[in-house]
Amino acid sequence: MELLRYIAKRFLQVIPLLIIVSLISFFIIRLSPIDPLAELRLNPSISQETLDKEMKRLNLDKPIYVQYFSWAKSFIKGNLGYTSAGEKVSTKLKERIPNTLLLTTIVIFMTWAVGIPLGILAAIKKETALDRLLTVVSSIGMAIPSFFFAILMLIFAVKTGWFPVGGLTSYNFNEMGLLGKIADISKHLVLPVIVLFTISLSGLQRQMRANMLEVLDSDYVKFARAKGLSEGKVIFKHALRNAINPMITLLGFEFAGLLSGAALTEYVFQYPGLGRLILEAVMKSDINLVMASLMMGTIMLIAGNLIADILLMITDPRLRGRS
Amino acid sequence: MKRIFTVIFLLILVGIFLKVFVKQDIPQKISDKIVRHDLQEINYPPDEKNVTINGIDYLQSQAPVGNFGGELIISTIGEGPKTFNPCNTKDATSSSMAGLLYDGLVTTNPRTGKVMPLLAKEFDINGNDYIIHLRHGIKWTDGNPITADDVMYTYNEIVFKGLGNPSTMDAMKVEGKLPELVKLDDYTVKFTTPKPFAPFLRQLSYPIVPKHYFKPYSDKGESVFNAFLSPNTPPKEIVSSGAFQLKEYVAAQRVVFVRNPNYYKINLKDEKLPYLNKLVYMIVGDTNNEILKFEAKEIDVLSLRGSNVARYKIREPESDYVIYNLGPDTGTLFLVINLNNRKNKDGKPYVNPMKHKWFANRDFRAAIDWAVDRKNMVQNIASGVAEPLFTAESLNSIYLNKYIKGHPCDLDVARKSLEKAGFINKDGKLYDADGNRVEFDLYTNAGNLEREALGVMVKQDLENLGMKVNFKPVEFNSLVNKLTNTHDWDMAIMGLTGSPLEPHDGKNVWTSSGSLHMFNQRPAGYNIDDRLDWEKELDEIFSEGALKLTFEERKPLYDRYQTIIYNQKPIIYLYSPTRITAIRKKFKNVFPTSLSGLIYNLDEIYIDEES
Repeated sequence: MELLRYIAKRFLQVIPLLIIVSLISFFIIRLSPIDPLAELRLNPSISQETLDKEMKRLNLDKPIYVQYFSWAKSFIKGNLGYTSAGEKVSTKLKERIPNTLLLTTIVIFMTWAVGIPLGILAAIKKETALDRLLTVVSSIGMAIPSFFFAILMLIFAVKTGWFPVGGLTSYNFNEMGLLGKIADISKHLVLPVIVLFTISLSGLQRQMRANMLEVLDSDYVKFARAKGLSEGKVIFKHALRNAINPMITLLGFEFAGLLSGAALTEYVFQYPGLGRLILEAVMKSDINLVMASLMMGTIMLIAGNLIADILLMITDPRLRGRS
Repeated sequence: MKRIFTVIFLLILVGIFLKVFVKQDIPQKISDKIVRHDLQEINYPPDEKNVTINGIDYLQSQAPVGNFGGELIISTIGEGPKTFNPCNTKDATSSSMAGLLYDGLVTTNPRTGKVMPLLAKEFDINGNDYIIHLRHGIKWTDGNPITADDVMYTYNEIVFKGLGNPSTMDAMKVEGKLPELVKLDDYTVKFTTPKPFAPFLRQLSYPIVPKHYFKPYSDKGESVFNAFLSPNTPPKEIVSSGAFQLKEYVAAQRVVFVRNPNYYKINLKDEKLPYLNKLVYMIVGDTNNEILKFEAKEIDVLSLRGSNVARYKIREPESDYVIYNLGPDTGTLFLVINLNNRKNKDGKPYVNPMKHKWFANRDFRAAIDWAVDRKNMVQNIASGVAEPLFTAESLNSIYLNKYIKGHPCDLDVARKSLEKAGFINKDGKLYDADGNRVEFDLYTNAGNLEREALGVMVKQDLENLGMKVNFKPVEFNSLVNKLTNTHDWDMAIMGLTGSPLEPHDGKNVWTSSGSLHMFNQRPAGYNIDDRLDWEKELDEIFSEGALKLTFEERKPLYDRYQTIIYNQKPIIYLYSPTRITAIRKKFKNVFPTSLSGLIYNLDEIYIDEES
């Protein structure tokens, strides 16, 4: 009951937040010097009447607050509007969201499945050769910029011919059998997953190690050891449960990054995800598309935080009474 | 000690790892000879012929007979098509793909640029009347016949109503009036223009669409029609007429076309074309990715730019591709000078009157023209893959004035010209007759590396004359706003794409009331006649040129306009890039032309694996 009330309260807080975010972003985009019709204006064969017609179609002839309200009205009704090329924003997003989710969920799943145990291992084996090796590897992972790593990987693909150069499916994908299709997608996913995996693994592993070390150093762990509990019990029952809390908050942010976290890598690998779509939309000031993606990002961030908070309340009894 | 060794060892390891990726395969020095090679000798087939078999009027390709089957994979840069509706395309990718699906009544001869029939069997021109005879017995992809009703529908209900992209309607208007269209019988229609109007015939290349498929949507009004045939339309549903029909569209990845079995073109053995089973467009985000895809053999055609030309040229002998030089393209890069002497709404002059006095002086502009070193720009910015340009028409235009030969860069001529105009050079600094230092702003759009490099070179060249140039790259949209709206600029480096076939398309740039008359832009609704003498002459040339119907009558007029621009120099042309394209050797029937590019004849291209 208390949990439900908490969730309801959080939902109410979302509304003003969304309004503020949408206002700020809408005005920043519209006040930027980007003119969606600039290319048309420079086309010698376009007449003034055509330009006026386009202005009217894109609502550019009205004052900016009218534009905002007409956008907000249709957004509340669940209508995301049309892109400047006349396609439905919702179908455009629907085309891309599954692709981005496929990539990011694989990466998040892999990093957490590998990063957490590695972090624990490094903390337990502190200052041994293994810990040092992991430190070196994760420092490299954290230091290398993702786009640079992605480009190196692309060159690797071209030189060896083992992997396709970007994309998600081959051109004859539709003529393949089911197994062939799975193999084709996996082959395309290997390189972007390696890039994203290496980069986010390092951070996660370091974070887990630090948390674990802090807890292992605390009095209650010392006390548990003094009591004569087995090392396994000390680590998994006492230390791990306390060390995992900050990681849950991190998981909430990972959730927010599900749709937007891989944009740069997506761009380099020509991956048909949201990253490329939104980058182009911003460049052309395609307002409905940009706003839809910004609102989506905001909602994902809020939802991620909410999920993390709820999970924390479940794992950490100390938090339950307070809210 | 042990530590130091470990560190050194690690560094060496990383070094070796990185070395694998970095292999120098671009020659250190790019010699002129590698890049510049002459246009290849190509044996073009004769023009296509009309052949009637069993009452069906086919178009017969005269190219060598090839093998059927296989696929050609090409690329398109950007986000892919926005629509397959040929009447509503607003970007190059969409219009080329929709253009594959729908043929027009006429097309352009890829070599001579003359208008020739396509979906029409033939056409007769009689004064202002254009009688179009359609082919008997040809069909849409769904088996329905293509008849005069489809033509009537396309023009009366789409083009003349301005549905979708209205630019064809704009281009067909003569003094605000549209041509008339009458149906003579099921396979004949007649257009009548209100006045003789030369650019009209070429506008008939507008795609003809199937009435039975389009009408339900066009009847529902503009917004339904604009959303019609969006890329996500189920491909099976689409009724088209072109050599290829849509098979599949995968967002941000590719568009796949397959051969249209109902296509009306045949080869010399009377077999139905096209040869290729499949045509695949890979959607790639940028040119770097395109190059990687060509290297990885994922695409078959690559257009080469700058330093890449030398690299590919060197590797050509042992590779599986051939490189074709298609000659200069329609793009032009130029320096435009603002001659505007009008005032804005607040009574403030757009251009500082002191500067306007310099810019309005022909000798000042001539000095700039003589001082810019085009050869140096071609060599250093375009890596030799370009041609110096002196004319307003692009170098592959059929209306190019061949008598304008241009001139080398000569600072002495430039200095004399400045002296004549009353400018004084003191200690390497240039002053006008009133003692003002000659200093102005030069704009271009930031982010375009080629134009930024051009700006730096123009600045250096002009500083040799003692001028002070403040080079300011600004965001593309702000630049467009300055040029078309606020007019507060001195000089700018810009590029435009012209039409190599129809000089009248440039009327918005050259006529004094045009919306892109950048160098002396009048605000909308401006009705004071303050045209310069040569602006008046340009206005006359463009209105007269459109009324003359034959190439022979029009050519001298458009030659004159290029001469005027060359003499008056409101726009100083710099260079035109050269198109150089690589294609895999296995593709045959490739007949590149300077007008149409490399693979305009997709229905004739076939694969010969053995070579």
